[in-house]
Amino acid sequence: MNLGQGLIIGHWVTLRRFLLTFWRDIKDGKGLHRRGGGTQILDFWSGRMPRGQEPTVRQDSTTEGLFTVEYPDERLPVYERFRVLPMLVYDTEDGNVRCTSCNICAKVCPPQCIWMTQAKGPKGNVVPLPEEFFIDMDVCMNCGMCSEYCPFDAIKMDHNFELSNYERHQTHIFDLQDLLVSSEFYAQTHPEAWETAEQITERGKVSKKKDQRLQKALAASKPAAPASSQPAASKA
Amino acid sequence: MATSTTPAQPSVSRPEWTTIIDPVLQKELEQHVLVTSWDQLLGMVDTVYNWGRRSSLWPLGFGLACCAIEMICTASSRFDIARFGAEVFRGSPRQADVMIVSGTVTKTMMPMIARLYDQMPEPKYVISMGACATGGGPFKEGYNVVSGIDKYLPVDVYVPGCPPTPQALLNGLIMLQKKIDGEKLDVTLPVLGHVRKGNTSWYSENVERDIPVPVLGPDLIDLRLVEVSAERTAQGLIEAREETLAKPAIIAAPKTDAAEAALEAEEAAAAVAKGGKPPKKAKRAVAQPTLVWLGEEGLNALAGRLDAEFGAGTATIIQAGLLIPAEKLVAVAYYLRDRNPIKYDYLASLQSVHYEDCIEVNYQLDSTLDPGKVITLRARTSAVECEGELPTLSSVWRGADFQEREVYDMMGVKFAGHPELKRILMWDGFAYWPLRKDYLEPYYEGPTKVFDSRVEEGFGRHFRSEELNPHGTNMKIPKDYKDWDKLSSGDDTKGKTLMPTGVDISELDTDQFIVSMGPQHPSTHGVFRMNLRVDGETIVGLKPVMGYMHRNHEKIGERNTYLMNFPFTDRLDYLTSMGNNFGYALAVEQLMGDEAKVPERAEYIRVIMAELTRVASHMWSIGFLLNDLGAFFTPALYAIEERELILDLFEWAAGSRMMCNYYRFGGVAFDLPKGWIERCRGVVNDRLDGKIDELDRYLTANEIVLDRCRGVGVITREEAINYSTAGPVLRASGVNYDIRRAAPYGIYDRFNFDVITAEHGDVYDRYLVRLREMRESVKILKQAVADIPDGPILPGKKSYQIKVPAGEAYSRVENPKGELGYYVVSDGSPTAYRYHVRSPSFINLTALERMCLGYTVADVVGILGSLDIVLGEVDR
Repeated sequence: MNLGQGLIIGHWVTLRRFLLTFWRDIKDGKGLHRRGGGTQILDFWSGRMPRGQEPTVRQDSTTEGLFTVEYPDERLPVYERFRVLPMLVYDTEDGNVRCTSCNICAKVCPPQCIWMTQAKGPKGNVVPLPEEFFIDMDVCMNCGMCSEYCPFDAIKMDHNFELSNYERHQTHIFDLQDLLVSSEFYAQTHPEAWETAEQITERGKVSKKKDQRLQKALAASKPAAPASSQPAASKA
Repeated sequence: MATSTTPAQPSVSRPEWTTIIDPVLQKELEQHVLVTSWDQLLGMVDTVYNWGRRSSLWPLGFGLACCAIEMICTASSRFDIARFGAEVFRGSPRQADVMIVSGTVTKTMMPMIARLYDQMPEPKYVISMGACATGGGPFKEGYNVVSGIDKYLPVDVYVPGCPPTPQALLNGLIMLQKKIDGEKLDVTLPVLGHVRKGNTSWYSENVERDIPVPVLGPDLIDLRLVEVSAERTAQGLIEAREETLAKPAIIAAPKTDAAEAALEAEEAAAAVAKGGKPPKKAKRAVAQPTLVWLGEEGLNALAGRLDAEFGAGTATIIQAGLLIPAEKLVAVAYYLRDRNPIKYDYLASLQSVHYEDCIEVNYQLDSTLDPGKVITLRARTSAVECEGELPTLSSVWRGADFQEREVYDMMGVKFAGHPELKRILMWDGFAYWPLRKDYLEPYYEGPTKVFDSRVEEGFGRHFRSEELNPHGTNMKIPKDYKDWDKLSSGDDTKGKTLMPTGVDISELDTDQFIVSMGPQHPSTHGVFRMNLRVDGETIVGLKPVMGYMHRNHEKIGERNTYLMNFPFTDRLDYLTSMGNNFGYALAVEQLMGDEAKVPERAEYIRVIMAELTRVASHMWSIGFLLNDLGAFFTPALYAIEERELILDLFEWAAGSRMMCNYYRFGGVAFDLPKGWIERCRGVVNDRLDGKIDELDRYLTANEIVLDRCRGVGVITREEAINYSTAGPVLRASGVNYDIRRAAPYGIYDRFNFDVITAEHGDVYDRYLVRLREMRESVKILKQAVADIPDGPILPGKKSYQIKVPAGEAYSRVENPKGELGYYVVSDGSPTAYRYHVRSPSFINLTALERMCLGYTVADVVGILGSLDIVLGEVDR
């Protein structure tokens, strides 16, 4: 009779899986190592990498099974297109904020979580810089539309997902200072996009165009317009 | 802790010590001795106690929306929440420590959440997971969404993201652990007279942390604020505000070609008479109900036949649809189903549009015997609120049942003869008909996005939607509402009107009783509820109660520009975002015509993504079917392993595991990254087959699976068609109907694959169809990854300004759950005039009662699992 056989087979399947994990560890010599490249299995006291430099664990089609990635001591690799919240890029060389507050990001933002006002010179003339820029992260849906359609490569998607906190009314509205990051930081997190030919030529064109517009605005309104010099980098 | 933090105090005498110690000695002591005061001793006890509590946080097994899927993934093998001692997801709030509010909190669900929270014992914690739970998220503007769970519950940790990845949730959990580490208890040591005040709110005697359960009246009403609400409502502040706002445009219903031409000529003449130029003719899309349809000649012949049968004037062709007068509708429907040469036995979709002069309900019909001959019927009724009435067609096609109720709920159109015309997504007593164009939501800002306040001078600063509404919350109540004192927390406004009548089973000599199953139940796949009437263990009546996840997708979709709507479609069936994108792209591309011609490479990418989605979704479905059969979580863990690798591919190409937002009109958003296709080939060619074989080997012949699934939840071929079921449910009953073959879209006609069918229509066959469909998907994938050409991925330059000609379109794709349809009416403006989603999960549920009658409660769980519903799509 095969009554109850299914139950035994089921248990055998899980037991085999359980034993196999040990066998694989021994076979690969991984018993005393973390998959992500840590030195020892008991690295509670030493051998931990500082925050942000934890080893990443690759799992692809050749990985046998699917093992646990021990967050926070190990991480999954972050793909370049991975998107959490938007960030605004300023150029490291000259400190210029790339955003010209052209409003396109706000125009494509599906849940309408972007607020911005354009900077104004003392005579009321328009300066191609954001005076204020807010993103409400309780409304943002991480869709990446803003960065996809930004013509100035100014708004990009950040990779930082470790944003948990205890309070929302003060901290969840990101203003200009929270959003700004250096182009150096962006080049680090998005190396592929940074190196593409289109982005390099685009950068050249954009900086030229922006410079002209800025000069024009400055000429129209002495003394200089606000917010152009040395923005404090919150994440760089 | 070993060293003291209070140096150099003049007096070192302590009240609890009788001897005075030399200050030098005291210092010395504090350097080497761990505990020198009662507080320090208690602190050590706190440490141990907190360590114990924080390492065994038992979450409530409670998921709301998309975030819940990521929460489940957090518990799966790759992220393994067990490392934090939090893997014990409890089904009962009475055993849980932490409530992870994972997803959009709707008004309909809020009373349930409050109740669950009140039932949790102290100490209890709340993690607000995702943007929706935290502050309303992208659905904040919706009329049925609570903008932030913190309006009702005290929240301990917020986890931002949409959705937060499993790692982000773990980060939130670590934050909660840190918070617990800092907790101190109130301690009284009676013998020594030592009293220490802690910092925990829950550990004192007179604390009352329960919250009053909010009430579903004309809107969701917080009983703590009922007086203020009543006062502000009586002042008519809402109405006053609305008068200052721009209202949505409302257009006239489409007319016959002749009438349209006459009107245009008249307008042109009037303009010329005034001395101006004749107005430019607006661009119109080609009139066709959907891409694959009966065709103009066939439609003319059909109209002729109907006129001959029921008298002249029965069928008027309007924009490639047949307008039928309401009084002849039922007769025509029977004719089309039974006597017409092409037997229209399948009601694909039913929806309504609010026009200036009428509310139009239209019906898309297809034939399962001769598929791909879609026609549209139109029926019109009064546009005045609550006056419209049409005959029900649920006697002809049972599948019309829930869809007509939805039209009633959203538009206020009554259906004469409908067996149970109750609200379906909102609750009876809700004061408005939300999809009518004249209904403005509490947070309404303008008829279309972009809202002026964001980009122009506007407010010039950030504001929350709460600031717009006089109530300060997402609430709108008619000025003349009076019954404030009748509101009671005990009311079950949503479920009480839907009590199953049931039939007697005479041989069982037991009393019948009613079980309300859900909306918080581990096996209802989300916030779905069933009112069951059981006779002993046997089901004699079942009424689905839904709407607990109704987050106003369609209303928001009518304010979004066409492009903006893509990320919202991701959140319909959040397990298959790529497939949802596909359907929506097709609908708008149908209107755009040749302007959005998809390049070859993009077509391949679309198919690859859609089929990967199908495999991932079916794996999930099979795993959780086993969950429902009682094999808790282990089979699901095995089944969703491979899904993770597919999600990696999505994340790599599109940027997000679940909310891909990857398709664009005429192509896809980005080209595949370097190395992507190689890894995809690796997954497709080397792994998926093996994994499907593994599932097959473990499950298909497993005696428990056979025992629980065979002959359970049977639905016959005729019923399956009549109930408008779709996808694997329909095919498991022996109907060879797969949109990829019946009405091919994209480049599916180029691939070699079979449509899988089975005969018995039971739970087992539905499982088997899904399993075999995965093999066919892998077959398609193998062909696609081998043949994918190089080339552009979009027809032109990427632009955010999409021009869509006026007209209407209905697109259909074979999503893993069944036929997913998008009905779009465009008036030539940047936003859709009407946007409707034909949701397979929703319509498949129509047949649930039929499937369950006569089986036991335990079987209901399995049957529901075999339908594979996703609540984001059921309730939209």
